[in-house]
Amino acid sequence: MQDAIFCQNLAKYFRHYHKEPGITGSIKSFFVRNYESKAAIRDFDLQIAQGEIIGLLGPNGAGKTTLMKMFTGIIVPSAGEIQILGHLPHQRENAFRRKIALVMGQKSQLWWDIPAMDSFLLLQKYYEIPDADFKKRLGTLCELMEVEKLLKVHVRKLSLGERMKMELMASLLHQPEVVFLDEPTIGLDLVAQKNIRDFVLAWQREFRTTVILTSHYMADVDALCQRIVLVLDGCKRFDGAIREFESMLGKQKFVSVDFETPIDNRENLWAELDPNWNNDGTHVELRIPEEALRQTAMAILRDYPVSALSMEKLPIERVMNELLTNPHLLAAPR
Amino acid sequence: MFNPLFKRIGQRIGHYAGIYKEFVSNCFAAAMTYRFHFVMLIIMDLLFYLSILASVDFLFAHVNKIGSWGRTEFMFFMAFMIAIEHLHMTFVSENFWEFSYDIRTGRLDFILLKPVGALFVIFFRSMRPGTLINGFFPWYYLIHFGSQLHLGPLQWLALPFLVLLGLTLLTSIEILLSMSMFWIVESMGINFLRMQLQQVSRWPDFVYQYFAQKFFSFIVPVLLVGSAPVKFLLDSSQWPGLVWVAVVLLICWSGIGFFWRKGLASYESASS
Repeated sequence: MQDAIFCQNLAKYFRHYHKEPGITGSIKSFFVRNYESKAAIRDFDLQIAQGEIIGLLGPNGAGKTTLMKMFTGIIVPSAGEIQILGHLPHQRENAFRRKIALVMGQKSQLWWDIPAMDSFLLLQKYYEIPDADFKKRLGTLCELMEVEKLLKVHVRKLSLGERMKMELMASLLHQPEVVFLDEPTIGLDLVAQKNIRDFVLAWQREFRTTVILTSHYMADVDALCQRIVLVLDGCKRFDGAIREFESMLGKQKFVSVDFETPIDNRENLWAELDPNWNNDGTHVELRIPEEALRQTAMAILRDYPVSALSMEKLPIERVMNELLTNPHLLAAPR
Repeated sequence: MFNPLFKRIGQRIGHYAGIYKEFVSNCFAAAMTYRFHFVMLIIMDLLFYLSILASVDFLFAHVNKIGSWGRTEFMFFMAFMIAIEHLHMTFVSENFWEFSYDIRTGRLDFILLKPVGALFVIFFRSMRPGTLINGFFPWYYLIHFGSQLHLGPLQWLALPFLVLLGLTLLTSIEILLSMSMFWIVESMGINFLRMQLQQVSRWPDFVYQYFAQKFFSFIVPVLLVGSAPVKFLLDSSQWPGLVWVAVVLLICWSGIGFFWRKGLASYESASS
């Protein structure tokens, strides 16, 4: 089967200049600008099969959005090769543009001063969706999102969560084969985040859509993605299954303990377990290697006034934090 | 062989007409939201048109002729330019301001993703429905002064087409200028330059000195917008002006195509 996304040796360079502070710096930069070229993406290879959901992760400025924009044909790569469903994105063929969609959490494609329904009707014309299909798809999307009553409300009057639902609907009306979601849950409350995640998952299962997601919320990644691609400084530093990513710091468990009375946290036992204490010493979160789990847990239960103890796999958020703080733990960039 | 081609062209026109209908519908919906603004725009535009005609009328209170034209020819020309101005303000003008905003904010990204000509969406998606109502104004004066000039049936028939030709030329020159926004990004200056060029085009070419007349007829040919069609209407032997308009249109469209491709290749989009 053809790859949904294929790219090889992809690179994108941006030019910028530095301005000295103050009015003198402004006048100087008006006449003389020393431009620098910076690689936003370099030597990037990626293959994504149709129907996969992958998480494109990395800190701010890592190059995730630049990748999304090259994949969608918005910007032209400086070097390398990209194919999306067999198309070269920067050629912007209509057939290509009918197969993809991009949702940006921080930008809106809906007309601000009119109800979302009017924007949807315009999208119907753009994508030449027959009336019967349009009604059916809109009905399905409304049902999944529970937004029927909001269709006739002006977009500027919607809450952020409601607007994001409308943005997603606007991007899916033409049933794209590949959907790029750039921080779709940014700024949303926990309930709204979960609603969006549930919707994306239900939609992807129904239509086997290929989804490329960027998000700083690891809950999104954990709930949606089978595979993670980690980008640091424009380079790919990890590409594999989410379970493989979670065990990158070794096989460890995340243990949370509550105590009946405050504990002296200076004791040696805690120091080796990467502890995270609350202020009064009655609660701690630990990272314990799996092979030492049984012995350590028993020692804690035996020696301290434990009121509750829970264990779970190491949260992806914690793995991510650790790797971003210590990038040397990752494989060297190729 | 021709049938499938015509069918495809017909489908393409139908597709774009459907999109444009939605643009109009959405602009009406948006404009009606702010009622006071809607009414104010109508009044402001009417005042603007009146001030143009009044200023020429004032001049002719003191002189009998400017160049070879008397008051009637001159007022006919001004009404012709107001007819172009009216269509420009109603259907095109807003889009130039929005294009600059689209590039600065990265809103252009969403336009580039749609499976239609991005230039069409950029320059024709916004209109001012309110000012459409003012259409009676220039046409009343065109008919009024045209009658005084005893235009023949063919001239009357050609009049709306020549107004559209002038509008097409003005818009094409402005779109070509606007392509520079890809590199300039903050393009308030380009938009003000456009407005100044419109100001230049509002007067017949013979009011300008030799150098200015040649510059604005051949280098930045905004004087052709009104002067070429009106001169032809008043004297059919002036047809070479229209040929030059056609040549300029071809040059503009080639330039737009070239700089559009170059602009897109260098477009960096705004960061999110």
